[in-house]
Amino acid sequence: MASLTDHLSDLVADADAVLLFSPTSSFHDRFEDGDTEVVVVAPDNDVDAEVFVELPLPFDNVKDRIRFGIEGAMDADLVSAGDEVVCIASVFDGGSDAVIRVTVDDTVHTGIYDLFVNSRAEPSVIRDVFEVAIELGQKGQKGKPVGALFVVGDAGKVMNKSRPLSYNPFEKSHVHVGDPIVNVMLKEFSRLDGAFVVSDSGKIVSAYRYLEPGAEGVDIPKGLGARHMSGAAITRDTNSTSIVLSESDGLVRAFKAGELVLEIDPEEY
Amino acid sequence: MSAVPTRLSEFATAVPDRFWLALFVLLFGLVAAYVVGVINRRLLTRAGVPEVIEGTAFERTAREFDTSTVRILAQLSSYFIVAVALIVALTVADVNYLEQFWSGVAAFLPRLFVAAVVLIVGIVVGDKAEMLVAERLRGIKLPELGVLPPLVKYSVVYVATLVALGQVGVQTLALIVLLAAFALAVVLFAALATKDLVASAAAGVFLLLRQPYGIGDEVRVAGERGIVQEVDLFVTRIEADGEEHVVPNHSVFRDGIVLIRE
Repeated sequence: MASLTDHLSDLVADADAVLLFSPTSSFHDRFEDGDTEVVVVAPDNDVDAEVFVELPLPFDNVKDRIRFGIEGAMDADLVSAGDEVVCIASVFDGGSDAVIRVTVDDTVHTGIYDLFVNSRAEPSVIRDVFEVAIELGQKGQKGKPVGALFVVGDAGKVMNKSRPLSYNPFEKSHVHVGDPIVNVMLKEFSRLDGAFVVSDSGKIVSAYRYLEPGAEGVDIPKGLGARHMSGAAITRDTNSTSIVLSESDGLVRAFKAGELVLEIDPEEY
Repeated sequence: MSAVPTRLSEFATAVPDRFWLALFVLLFGLVAAYVVGVINRRLLTRAGVPEVIEGTAFERTAREFDTSTVRILAQLSSYFIVAVALIVALTVADVNYLEQFWSGVAAFLPRLFVAAVVLIVGIVVGDKAEMLVAERLRGIKLPELGVLPPLVKYSVVYVATLVALGQVGVQTLALIVLLAAFALAVVLFAALATKDLVASAAAGVFLLLRQPYGIGDEVRVAGERGIVQEVDLFVTRIEADGEEHVVPNHSVFRDGIVLIRE
């Protein structure tokens, strides 16, 4: 048993900060008197912690959860690149059961924190749109790879920066993303050309939109097509976030303020 | 050998028939009480009552006395049937002393039973309501809201007590007047507090159904001009030059809508 304890103390030795993921209040209280900085990462600040990073989504994947927590802590200048942090999280259901040591570096900065927290639309809406895009990327439309473009948030401005390609199938409807039947509808409508416009609260405002932003000065990686270009450009002209599923390489990309902030492969998700 | 049966039959004939009948009624009552008790317990359990009332104060108290709400209710129905059977048996047996007393009890018993059941159900429902309200309010961290859950509980218990007292024939007029005053106050305050919300929701239903304007339209409502960003049941969000106006729907409706077309 001695080696096990040694290993654990090696793991937590000279940590600059400890990140507690959704701790219980009694668990959190035990860290109060310690020397290391304690950062609580949770959906709500239930334990009245002084240093708190909000987790907008309950990430099931622990890696994502830790990345998100570290990014949030970096964003709030709680930790900086080169710091050694110890994360105490719950991997299986129940209490905090894992101790993970992570070195903070800038490569952790994937932009996912910024995408969720600093977007105009609600985090759950962005997550729902992501899930639709990822599912669409995994399965395609009737087995064939398909592309799609979702513009989320600031819908009023986006509508004024675009024109309809045909009649809007979501006209006078009150459907929101995240509803299972709506996800099926979105998949069916993804064969249509043009963009989906989703409002801040998740209402699907329109499909079939032809975006007309000014594309000057939009800097996105070369090789991406017209869909990505217009998706990136609209986020520069408005406060929206666009989530693009590429038809050619099947990747899901997110753009904010005209820049690529996140790129994920649906197959790995 | 033949003496014993003769004795028995003599004894049987000596006892009046109505005593046998009374005994039979009593036995039948006991069996029925047991069966009804068991059936009641099973029915209540099957209906999911134990899960629903789990954790209420009454249930916890019952647990301390090594019983449960469901068992108490079932036993109550058993006792009721036993008591009725006893009275019927006594009547059949024609025990004529204390007849006046028994007839009074016979009339009073069902009401007492109903009163007891109403009281228990009222307390349990009150506890449950308190728990539900407390759970809903847990997200809102306002200490002042702590008075609400007990208020809900005691309102329910109060009404149950009134009904129970009314059943056993206690004069409850003064209590009812008190209740009416309380209910009036609650309704009045609720109406005052939610007047604008209700008006907004009514206007919001119209706005959502008919959609005189949609997201992306440029409008002027309630003196604010801008692009519609969001319409929900209570408010319309209008954005212009980096300012987002959250306009309650009732003022949209009251002041009218100007759709701006180039």
